[in-house]
Amino acid sequence: MKAADIILKGCIRSHTPTNGGEIGAASTPLAALAPAIGSGRLPSMTNASGTGTERPRHADEAVPAAKRPTPPVQHAGPAARVENLRLRYPGEDTPLLFKGLSLTIERGQKVLLLGPSGCGKSTLLQVLGGLVPAAIRIPMKADCCLVPARPGYVFQDPDSQFCMPYADEEIAFALENAGIAREEMPARISRCLEAVGLCLADPHFPVAGMSQGMKQRLAIAAMIAMEPDALLLDEPTALLDEEGTRQVWSSLRSVWGGRTVIIVEHKIAGIAEDMDRVIVFGPDGSIQADGSPRLVFREHRELLREYGIWYPGFWEDYDRNAAIRPAATAPSSGVRSAELLLELDGLEGWRGGRPKVRTGPLAVNAGDWIAVTGVNGAGKSTLLLAIMKLIKTKGSLYIPGIPVQSLKKPGDMAKHAALSFQNPEFQLVTDSVLDELAYSLPRSLREPERSSRARTLMENYALDGLGGRHPYQLSMGQKRRLSVATAMVGGQRLLLLDEPTFGLDASGTVRMMEQLERLRSGGCAILMITHDPELVRRFATRQWLVDGGLVAERSGGTACI
Amino acid sequence: MHLTFSHRETWLHRVNPTLKLAVSVLLFVAALFVHNPNVMALLAAASLLPLLATGHPPLRVLLYASPFLLVFISSASGMIMFGTGATLWFELGLIRITEESFYRGLHLGLRSLQVAAVGLAFALTTRPVALFYSLMQQLRMPSKYAYSFLAALNMVPLLADEFFTLRQALQIRGAGPGRKGIYGRLRMYALPLLAQSIRRAQRTAAAMEARRFRSGSGKRTYYYVYGWSRIDALYAVSIAALWLLAWLLGTHYPLLAATDVR
Repeated sequence: MKAADIILKGCIRSHTPTNGGEIGAASTPLAALAPAIGSGRLPSMTNASGTGTERPRHADEAVPAAKRPTPPVQHAGPAARVENLRLRYPGEDTPLLFKGLSLTIERGQKVLLLGPSGCGKSTLLQVLGGLVPAAIRIPMKADCCLVPARPGYVFQDPDSQFCMPYADEEIAFALENAGIAREEMPARISRCLEAVGLCLADPHFPVAGMSQGMKQRLAIAAMIAMEPDALLLDEPTALLDEEGTRQVWSSLRSVWGGRTVIIVEHKIAGIAEDMDRVIVFGPDGSIQADGSPRLVFREHRELLREYGIWYPGFWEDYDRNAAIRPAATAPSSGVRSAELLLELDGLEGWRGGRPKVRTGPLAVNAGDWIAVTGVNGAGKSTLLLAIMKLIKTKGSLYIPGIPVQSLKKPGDMAKHAALSFQNPEFQLVTDSVLDELAYSLPRSLREPERSSRARTLMENYALDGLGGRHPYQLSMGQKRRLSVATAMVGGQRLLLLDEPTFGLDASGTVRMMEQLERLRSGGCAILMITHDPELVRRFATRQWLVDGGLVAERSGGTACI
Repeated sequence: MHLTFSHRETWLHRVNPTLKLAVSVLLFVAALFVHNPNVMALLAAASLLPLLATGHPPLRVLLYASPFLLVFISSASGMIMFGTGATLWFELGLIRITEESFYRGLHLGLRSLQVAAVGLAFALTTRPVALFYSLMQQLRMPSKYAYSFLAALNMVPLLADEFFTLRQALQIRGAGPGRKGIYGRLRMYALPLLAQSIRRAQRTAAAMEARRFRSGSGKRTYYYVYGWSRIDALYAVSIAALWLLAWLLGTHYPLLAATDVR
């Protein structure tokens, strides 16, 4: 570690500000800022450039770009390297996460790390950036561990990356840590925001008022503010919708310049083709494939499919091999005699004293798989909450054979409809998977049947062997399936899902969809919020579009969004 | 979920936050040594005065101040009705109002009012960010504590959102067997919320470290710099003047018969 720092310090510290695309051009450090600071302060500018205080420069030194040190992309040599890495999570019987992994990433290379969930690629990213073991203490050993001098990170969760309430303050936090002079901060802040395409009239913009995509772009801006030589991104788009994902990738492309970039991500559409190198890890943390994206996606498809990783053309392959033929594409769909399960007419969901969403006359029949689509904030989740009567509603909601008076409370609705939230953890209330399933079974059910019912459910939802686990110890896909299983225990025939495939890898997504298809063909109706056009096209039989708070059937099939 | 409300910046916002905090704390303590209800009444009135200069719309200030009435009544009534005293005014069962207990209760209510008003004026004119920056600069508060507090404050609205989602989720799942009583319910809420918060705190800490936040070592610069200005002097002088005025008027021109409630 120490040796690595020393090796890299000399060559990196001095030229970091010159290597970025737009940023580099804008931050030609001293010449551009000298007028802003004022000539009276010139002596103090020697350590105000933020590029390291150990090498004082005078203002008159800051002249033509040609005289500045060459950007790192032209240097050969590694940006990060580990040799014979061994690492395990703290705990008694945890297996080794890496057993002698060796990996070198060249300076300026754009690398994508892929692997099944739980293979340790996020941890490896933290090792490569020096966050493990310096900041996050995980026991590790390596013969050689070389990390970039100035790594910059973007993490997965947009809501937990910020410690300040306003955008400018957040970037200023990074600048303060680097010891940048206060006079320089406003100019740098607006430059960073511009570079990632966040056009705020006033940089003093509340983070809480931003969309998730904007927050991730702010995280990129804060990373760029530190003038890093390597950008490390840990699933930066996993919790974003399509639009946010596009924004993040375009921001990243516009700032990465000649810097080293290492990305861990499973939603790779929109970024894979820009990478120089793709590395695929196996479930045991070993490298299974390593090469250009074209090579890896052509030669190692089988591997990627086996590991449940998205790759270009995944759905085409799925269509060829699928065990279950989704209703949307099956020729026989629509033959079933329609049995009405739910009827809405002018149902309004209220929030904050105002109607937030309103439906037209809509009917849901058994065997329907309805995709609820629309932009962020249109009111899709509010619609599901309104149907469940979890918020104030007006207008009519009708379920055949049930008097309207006994559909007023969430507890009443829960007898007929099940809702699975986006974060399944909120729905899980016991200490083990088995208890979780037994919890919702009818109270009249007595013992041997009770646990045998729970066991059958575990088999049906591909959770066998996990009965004793704490629900929080499951993978995301398993938690989701468990939350659907517990929601449907009471024999409900109407299932509402808020983005059931959010944050899942390919195999998790396919499993969830096939599970839902089994429910649908068994006579249930499914209402599913999703942003994924591939899912809508493949699995949904109908589509509701929520636009500006109005819910309407989208006619003309489900072919496109 | 937003916890900030738009308002105008006034001169009270520009007072050094550390000074404002110190003065407010001083006022809380000083109020404990006032025993003349005449002075206390004027002090309470004087403490309500700065609320008009907070830059928030008067109606909203009134809304924020509405619990004060409750504070006043609850703290005063207990003492008035059940306190001891020699000069009996009224008696009904357990309730026994005497002259002494009446003035003592009134005094207590006025004191609560004063403390509440000072606290509200401070809260309405001080952003947490400003307070912690000022504490780091004026009182050398270690940056690791200051930024930890700020990061924690950022999580409060998220925690509130999560609480509402959790409540909805539990409403749907209903109460199963063996999950009854306050303990069971507390557990159902506390466990998931704690689990989420701990994980979020870990992630935030990692993100802060990744921005090269090093606790202790190295010098930091500050985006906001707080120092001293004439406004601070104006603030200190006007608060002192208000107190002096209240004390003089209260002692020399008493409106109430009682001058010492001890």
